[in-house]
Amino acid sequence: MRRSRFIVGGIVILAALSYLIYTGMREAAVYFVTPSELKAQEKPSKDRFLRMGGMVVQGSLQKDLTNLTYRFQITDGKETIPVYFRGVPPDLFSEGKGAVVEGRFGADGVFQATIIMAKHSEEYSPPKEGIHSDLRSFVPDAGEKRP
Amino acid sequence: MTASLGHSAILVALALAVWGIVAPILGARTGRQRYFAGARAAIVGQFFLVTVAALSLIYALVTTDFSIKYVAFNTTRATPVYYRVTGLWGALEGSLLLWEWILIIFSGLVAWIYKDRHRELMPWVLMIFSTVSAFFLAVIGFASNPFESVFPVPLDGRGLNPLLEDANMITHPPLLYTGFVGLTVPYAFAMAALIKGRLDGDWIVTTRRWTITAWFFLTMGNLVGAWWSYHVLGWGGYWAWDPVENAAFMPWLPATAFLHSVQVQERRGMLKVWNLSLIIIAFSLTIFGTFLTRSGIISSIHAFSSGPVGTLFLSFLAFILISSFGLLAYRADKLKGRPELDSMVSRESAFLLNNVVLVSALFTIFLGTIFPLISEAVAGVQVSVGAPYFNSVTVPLFLLLVFLMGVGPMIAWRKASWDNLKRNFLWPAVAALMIALFLFIWWIRDFLPLLGFTLSAFVVFSILFDTALAVRARCRIAGEWIGSALVTLARRNQRRYGGLVVHLGIVLIVLGIAGSMSYSIERQATLNVGETLAVGQYKIRFEGLRGSQQPTHYRVQGAFRVFNNGDESGVFSPTLKFFPNQQSPIGRAVFRSTFTEDLYLILSGFSELQQNRATLKVLVRPLVAWIWLGGLVIALGTLVAIWPFKQSAVSE
Repeated sequence: MRRSRFIVGGIVILAALSYLIYTGMREAAVYFVTPSELKAQEKPSKDRFLRMGGMVVQGSLQKDLTNLTYRFQITDGKETIPVYFRGVPPDLFSEGKGAVVEGRFGADGVFQATIIMAKHSEEYSPPKEGIHSDLRSFVPDAGEKRP
Repeated sequence: MTASLGHSAILVALALAVWGIVAPILGARTGRQRYFAGARAAIVGQFFLVTVAALSLIYALVTTDFSIKYVAFNTTRATPVYYRVTGLWGALEGSLLLWEWILIIFSGLVAWIYKDRHRELMPWVLMIFSTVSAFFLAVIGFASNPFESVFPVPLDGRGLNPLLEDANMITHPPLLYTGFVGLTVPYAFAMAALIKGRLDGDWIVTTRRWTITAWFFLTMGNLVGAWWSYHVLGWGGYWAWDPVENAAFMPWLPATAFLHSVQVQERRGMLKVWNLSLIIIAFSLTIFGTFLTRSGIISSIHAFSSGPVGTLFLSFLAFILISSFGLLAYRADKLKGRPELDSMVSRESAFLLNNVVLVSALFTIFLGTIFPLISEAVAGVQVSVGAPYFNSVTVPLFLLLVFLMGVGPMIAWRKASWDNLKRNFLWPAVAALMIALFLFIWWIRDFLPLLGFTLSAFVVFSILFDTALAVRARCRIAGEWIGSALVTLARRNQRRYGGLVVHLGIVLIVLGIAGSMSYSIERQATLNVGETLAVGQYKIRFEGLRGSQQPTHYRVQGAFRVFNNGDESGVFSPTLKFFPNQQSPIGRAVFRSTFTEDLYLILSGFSELQQNRATLKVLVRPLVAWIWLGGLVIALGTLVAIWPFKQSAVSE
């Protein structure tokens, strides 16, 4: 009698926990894709939250600082995907550098990014004297330090 | 010279650690006491040698001996002395040495304090310490040597990551490591009890204070980490569910569960296997955390170097899990639990449920942290889960835990009678519901925050109500004055009242998290000079930018005049610092903290210093200050719980 009560209790707890995990995962799962994989999909997964990594194409970056909107293209060398972002991109974000964007792939073929993460380089760069002493502008490379 | 001294000390200490493992086994085989004395001597020897090694590295850092690679990478001639010292834990190699140092200090303390006690257990306790120490010494000696030399000797060092040049960095890693290492004490006693087959729960009573102390350091380490993240990293948050944060937080969960479930074993002789498993898991997670953060298998925003260290930690983790649980299985016949639960409505079952919730939280966080690995292995796609997963899964669990905090300490053991329930919970529940009604009418219409605030109120009322009843009883019986009655109660039953104060601290943290999670406002905009941004009741006027060359970096400062409901509250100057040897600038956010809310300004960019256009990010985060206040209350409660009052031994 007592034992069965425990088993029932255990099953209820397990079921509740599984439900929590399942719904949590479904809402929060982020799929890693490359531009080629995204292009290759026959029906773009519109409702899925994606994380796409690649290089920011040289010369593709158009920014509107007043409205804080950014348009650029991400490539993996084979395919290129246009990206739209509103907000402040991270410190290391710039053309020709690696970046990871997170968001949804719109039906119009534009990736609507909600977060941009720039690839951190752990390489050591030797100190350069006075590199920033005539700094005139710093276009938001920072801000969203973390997702 | 310094390097070879330090490195040789490590190698000799390693030899002693191996002796410390072998000696008790020889002692048990031959029955000769001097082998057991050898286990003790091995610990004392390691203590001195590792101290020599650690001091050598500190000396090298302070004197900027750039012939040592670690020193060259973590200091510069310009680094102030105190940051040179903290360079000891600025990178992997030094951190491991610090860890080992704290471990051997703890081992030495245990060997010294229990010199004449627990004669049967002590050799084995010390053997476990030597085993863990041997692993760290081997890693430090051969795989991750902080004394490695560099040639040619550089003229100047590379220096600490500027983000680490902060006062909190002085305290955060040592606190966390002390917490991790502190868990080794109950683990070592548990293993010794298993080896000797003395499973009467003696080990639990002996290690009680140690466990509370370890738990305290673990809590503080995590809180200071959150504080640092909030005040220094300048992204406006204090917790991001980053794998590194999870690694530091995970051991806290089984450690907390353990603190509660041991009371059930002490009182009712139940849950023996469970308690042993919890402490094994808690200890393993401290090793797992290092594996996770140092192996590079999970990408994290915290950049760490990877190398063979990850593999070594994984092997050691496997060794701990297999040997500990193997030993547990071997002793299974001695661990038959005594009575079963008498009733579902009792303190035992409240504690049991608390344990189930904590372990569930651990499981979900663990799963979320390693999910990219699982999905890669199972489905071939990397799928990660971010903060939304962790929040949506753990918030209900933690709310249940808050509820249990209000129930567990007051409900009766064995079987709670209807009278007990009515006496202890009727008024607190009524008061909490009135608070809920009040909040609902005036401010809060969202379910989760309302539930959080209501449950928090319930915990506070049930603690105050229970204490008030006890104080009243003492005033009547002993004729004491309220204040002195309270002090007597706390001294007579310091673990209980210390625990209740800790619970109040946790409630404050819950309030802070609930408020800031649910009602934060975030705005960002690019402003020209003279333009104003309105956020909530604040108006923020941009008044200009100023650049200046500093000794170590170039600094750009924005001036923002803030009006709160029309009243001026001063000029805020968030800053961006450009370090010559760093690719990206480091932001210095500015914030004003009050008990109701924090205003947080981040300068995220600017264009044309002369033209004066700045991109500003503004956050209004309610109740965050209560999180830090809760930390102080927890510290106070821990002090009450472990303070060595003279009479407490008598009354317990």
